[in-house]
Amino acid sequence: MEDPTVTTTAQEAPAGNWNRDQLRQAALVKISKFEALANKGLIMIAGFLAISIAALRDFDFLPSVPLSVLAFLGPPPSANMISAALVFYCFSAIILILAKMMSGSNKYGGLAHLGYLSGFYLFYHFAAAMERNFWAVFAAGMTILALEEYHLWIYCAEEIRKERETLAELGGGNGKAPNFKR
Amino acid sequence: MLRSLSAKAIVPVAVAVTGFVVVCCILLYSVMKTDMTNDATVQATNLANTIVKSTRYAMLKSDRETLSNIIDNIGGQHGVETVRIFNKKGLIMVSKDHAEVGQFVDKKTAGCIGCHAGAVPKASFRAMEQARTFTNARGSAVLAITAPVYNEPECFNADCHFHPPEQKVLGTLDIGLDQAPLISALGVMRNRMTIFSLMILVLTVGGVAALLRRNVFMPIKSLSNFTEKVVHGTIGQDFPRCGGEIEGIASNVRTIAEELNKAKTELDKR
Repeated sequence: MEDPTVTTTAQEAPAGNWNRDQLRQAALVKISKFEALANKGLIMIAGFLAISIAALRDFDFLPSVPLSVLAFLGPPPSANMISAALVFYCFSAIILILAKMMSGSNKYGGLAHLGYLSGFYLFYHFAAAMERNFWAVFAAGMTILALEEYHLWIYCAEEIRKERETLAELGGGNGKAPNFKR
Repeated sequence: MLRSLSAKAIVPVAVAVTGFVVVCCILLYSVMKTDMTNDATVQATNLANTIVKSTRYAMLKSDRETLSNIIDNIGGQHGVETVRIFNKKGLIMVSKDHAEVGQFVDKKTAGCIGCHAGAVPKASFRAMEQARTFTNARGSAVLAITAPVYNEPECFNADCHFHPPEQKVLGTLDIGLDQAPLISALGVMRNRMTIFSLMILVLTVGGVAALLRRNVFMPIKSLSNFTEKVVHGTIGQDFPRCGGEIEGIASNVRTIAEELNKAKTELDKR
């Protein structure tokens, strides 16, 4: 999931003469956007913790699903099948995040992971196997979201550093657009 | 600290390996615990059925003394917490605990409610439905099995008996087994898995960290020291001998510095 509000510095290299203040202002706006983006992962982790607390109580505060809906959905998969899917998902997600780290991509998949992890909680809930498997989903979620957050944080820290360098260049510049390519 | 090169290299690996190993261990433990509990339930159910078969003749002959003796002997076995037989109405006929003989069991308790929830009690159920677990007064976890004593042709055709053929269940055997050995085995398995996981984590993360330190961080540190000396005008022969790309970079930096020095010297001469 790419954040459309934040673009890289190279993409926004202005072509003509720019007012130095405008450039400085643009750099400051980008810094604040990257700072906000870096906190996005923490919001996802907080959301996951909230869902986990609900799952720990086996969603006892939610109304029961009507029998007709349960009959329509059919029997849930066995706990072993859900566990096998969880291992496969966890492995794939970690590999994909490490691959994103290697490529220096700015894509963030926290929201999608939140959805998948909630799905696992629901499957275990309907399979009546939440008590035995709660900590496995929790550990998988914390690992995946922590890696995503670390990746995003490192990416944003790097971009903020670049913008600060740009600001430093603008401090002694001639008012022309600085070279954003690094 | 987290922005350093070593942190960037080691933190993702450590988090990924630790997280994945923890998830796999929890799931593996969960699956093994379920399997072992199911096996224990099947074994306990077989034991209950064996007791029903063993006491069948005594019940057929209405030999209370022999029946009581068999139940006392079984109840004296290590790990048998409770064993009793009650009739269709719930009246305890014979028990390891002689004090409860003649009392009625509560049909609403766990283990009874499964069959007695509806207006007509269930007459047959699967092995897993026969089992229940509870903690007794001594604080021990107990796996209890209820095995029905079915009405058979020998029962309702016997001269001395009064059970009509329509009556499917004559009574129930209830046996409770101490789960301490199972819990202990699960605890040992959990500890072994924890130690095994820690060893894997130390080996993996430690191995990656050691190799990165030897092959990347130490040469980069040497290169950094070397370039710092070059910047300050000291061009010694001690550039990093670490091989590969880093030694190439050090060599290039040294060449550039020497060329600059030469140019500077020539300029000074003029």
